[in-house]
Amino acid sequence: MIRHDPLAVRVAAIEPLSATLKRLTLESADGGALPIGSAGAHVSLILEGGDRPFRNAYSLVSMPGERGCYELIVRRTAGSRGGSAFIHERLGEGSVIGATVPHNLFPIQRHARKHLLIGGGIGITPLLSYLPALRQGGERLELHQISARDEVPLFENLLAPHAAHDVHVHAGRGALDLSALLARQPLGTHVYVCGPAALMDHVEAAAAALGWPASRVHRENFGAAGGDPFTLRLARSGREIAVGPDQSMLDALEAAGVPVPSLCRGGACGECLTKVTGGVPEHRDHYLTDLEKAEGALVMPCVSRAKNDLLVLDL
Amino acid sequence: MNDQGIKSRPAYAPLARDPVGRTHLLVADSMAIPHAAFAPGTSLGDYDECWTVEGHSRAIPSAMPDARMHGFRSASHLLIALRRRLAMEYMGFRLYAIGTEAFLWDVAAAAEAAGMGKEEYALFHAGSGARRVLCVHCRTLNQGVTTNLVACGGCGAALFVRDHFSRRLNAYMGVQVDAEMPGERPDVEEIYR
Repeated sequence: MIRHDPLAVRVAAIEPLSATLKRLTLESADGGALPIGSAGAHVSLILEGGDRPFRNAYSLVSMPGERGCYELIVRRTAGSRGGSAFIHERLGEGSVIGATVPHNLFPIQRHARKHLLIGGGIGITPLLSYLPALRQGGERLELHQISARDEVPLFENLLAPHAAHDVHVHAGRGALDLSALLARQPLGTHVYVCGPAALMDHVEAAAAALGWPASRVHRENFGAAGGDPFTLRLARSGREIAVGPDQSMLDALEAAGVPVPSLCRGGACGECLTKVTGGVPEHRDHYLTDLEKAEGALVMPCVSRAKNDLLVLDL
Repeated sequence: MNDQGIKSRPAYAPLARDPVGRTHLLVADSMAIPHAAFAPGTSLGDYDECWTVEGHSRAIPSAMPDARMHGFRSASHLLIALRRRLAMEYMGFRLYAIGTEAFLWDVAAAAEAAGMGKEEYALFHAGSGARRVLCVHCRTLNQGVTTNLVACGGCGAALFVRDHFSRRLNAYMGVQVDAEMPGERPDVEEIYR
């Protein structure tokens, strides 16, 4: 059974890692043990008290199986939907917030003969929880982190506990020949990539061109950035809700008090699937099939938007 | 009396080189590869290497063949070289096998053990239709069974050869034919040739 009741967690520590990155340590507000997150799992934080509530998904970077606390790393981004800015500005040690129980849409493939991990920027976070789990299992691994030049020392520092392994930080996409890397992997390798969509698309395309079956390529999807504002009309009530340029449909619905079940908030899990009865969705998810996207009768409000000014939902 | 409507009997389609693969190795348990093994418009020439079983002691043992065509003494000899080869191969490799079912699923087991998945190898049945039959009562493997009924070489049970094929065990299941009604047995027919 999937548990939907949020947990109450207290911010036990906030550690600045750089001008834009903070590491948060969360403990259960009642002092009890937290539900276990496996390697690659994420939690959604439920942040209230701003202009509108935010729900943002973050990968756990604490040791898989840790029950005393959850650790996560939050980057403040210029085009953020507001959640990361809220965490950076408003959240303090001792604050109590809501969090979903951990879910995992990016699990380790246990039958892989080798694990090739590729991170881009803050996309390193789920891979940070992979490293101890893979090392504990004696698994064969290779990690490549692609970073902006000025953040190389930051990621080298985060990866320092694993430096004795096949772990590398590269300054920029151009510093790593992805095709050569994928071409030299032994049979039975699985590749996991987390980072900007362009990087993940590139890895997927390069792997396919080298004869990797699609089942060996795994990507972790974060929420897509915003776009043009548009209006949602709820077919059952006739109510209209504005979706701002830096806001997702799901955030707008939640802010208006319309509950929609959600898990990953990144277009991967399918939990927030909603029927469309008018207008044309602009699909940005990885859940619907190409045929379903072309039909336009379903939409994933966590990441997708509208092609026109108005989208009518069966809500 | 042969088929019981069980769908686990493997189906095989003629082979075609996977256009997205980078290296293509074809293995066969016979030197006589039928044209039917290849999809229309394709041929043996499409593959980078072809390993066959000569079934003769004049085939010279070689741990790691390097010629485009290579003959082995036996299927066992070929499978040993194949396992060594797979341990050294890279993603993008494709494996194709032509031969009897026992050979095909030995190749498939070697591929899976090396971490390959179903998208990375393909099998085509050619040659004898004789079956490897597992006695489900005593676990003996009976080789080369061509009849619907066979006496188990281990426990002597009169086994009915089912169409139930185990990919893991690489054998068809054989069950006591008259377990329900002792003495009630169909006629013996040679149907797997």
